[in-house]
Amino acid sequence: MSGTARLSDLATQIGQGPRWAMVRTHFGISAFGVNAYVADEAGGTLISEHDEVGKQAGRHEELYFVGSGHATFTVDGDEIDAPAGTFVFVRDPGVKRKAVAREDGTAVVIAGGRPGEAFTPSPWERNAPALYHFGTREYDKAIEILEGLREETPDDGGVLYNLACAESLSGKREQAIKHLRHAIEVDHTFRELAEKDSDFDPIRDDPGFASAIAGKPDASGAGA
Amino acid sequence: MSEKAYEVAHIDELDRFPVDDEGLLWRPVRRRLGITAFGTNAYTAEKGDERVVEEHHEQDGAEELYFVASGRATFTLGDEEIDAPAGTFIYAEPGTKRGAIASEPKTTVVAFGARPGVPHEISAWEEIFVAFGHLRNGNEEEGRKAMAAAIAAKPDAWQGQFNAACFEALTKNRDAAIEHLRRAIELDPRAAEYAQKDTDFDWLRDDPEFPV
Repeated sequence: MSGTARLSDLATQIGQGPRWAMVRTHFGISAFGVNAYVADEAGGTLISEHDEVGKQAGRHEELYFVGSGHATFTVDGDEIDAPAGTFVFVRDPGVKRKAVAREDGTAVVIAGGRPGEAFTPSPWERNAPALYHFGTREYDKAIEILEGLREETPDDGGVLYNLACAESLSGKREQAIKHLRHAIEVDHTFRELAEKDSDFDPIRDDPGFASAIAGKPDASGAGA
Repeated sequence: MSEKAYEVAHIDELDRFPVDDEGLLWRPVRRRLGITAFGTNAYTAEKGDERVVEEHHEQDGAEELYFVASGRATFTLGDEEIDAPAGTFIYAEPGTKRGAIASEPKTTVVAFGARPGVPHEISAWEEIFVAFGHLRNGNEEEGRKAMAAAIAAKPDAWQGQFNAACFEALTKNRDAAIEHLRRAIELDPRAAEYAQKDTDFDWLRDDPEFPV
């Protein structure tokens, strides 16, 4: 439905990192991808380093627009000074890109799509409705949504990882370890992420966590 | 357009093409950066109280999202009037009438759009807007080149020939105006109906060879 929203109202704190405005899902846009991120403090990450060819990525060409503040982008190893009003268009999905805020309150709007194809959301964005509940600390609601997604696609690493995060944060230790183990089995890049992710602080001292990170099979025999 | 891995442009570096007499400046973003997966443009009103988004609805089924990048605008969205300071998103479904008037000087709105369920096609109107933009900026020959490119991209579309006829009428090129209009009418008789109402042709109406 047609509508309006302020970026400052949409942007929600989800875990560490910038506030995320889920613009596409908020308005129900289905023709192109669009999100925005706000870093409240200078030095904060605006765009985590990524490319668009990983398992969770959409292979989109991406347009970044600095809506306010001042950012520094790094694209394909090149540093780009990007004050408010700068467009950075990354055509090649294989290129690494990231951005850091240089001023408090720096905001970036991102639009994306795959050339020559009808738009489909990136796999990672399926998690958006659940991640919203991380922001409000309603982890049971996040788990309910992620369990629904896991039933649809049992081997989606992103869903499994986020489910493990929500379970860790809500004290569901065994479930969290089981789903983290499974996430790392299907996509080993989640190992490095989990090592640094404070969502796993509640279970970090558990031997099961260490064994999941190490990629060892589940010693309890329950399987993943 | 070179196929670099990435492109960078600041909004102040984009072309500024006037598209009407109400102060609306079109700033092509998609065209400048070579984006093909979706449409995107910026629009600027230098003074307050000028149009910054044309009043229209999307006849081809495109979803559109507007982001107020600087200044402030009053949007019309269907029957609603919305105060939209910098940092506001406005989403319009295809059938919803929308438009905006700047309420502060130097208001810029960035628009994103595409049609759901189909690969994005670059709008044929872009080069026609460029042509008239060059003309309004006093660059007649650049405008004529852009118009030729618009016709070459869709040679069987009457709209290209019709707009070329308007362009030549505005620049007082009698023979070229009549030739383009004749070709437009051959492609689609609706061109004659439009030509009857279009004041661009007023000075040509009494010409014995005017084809309407």
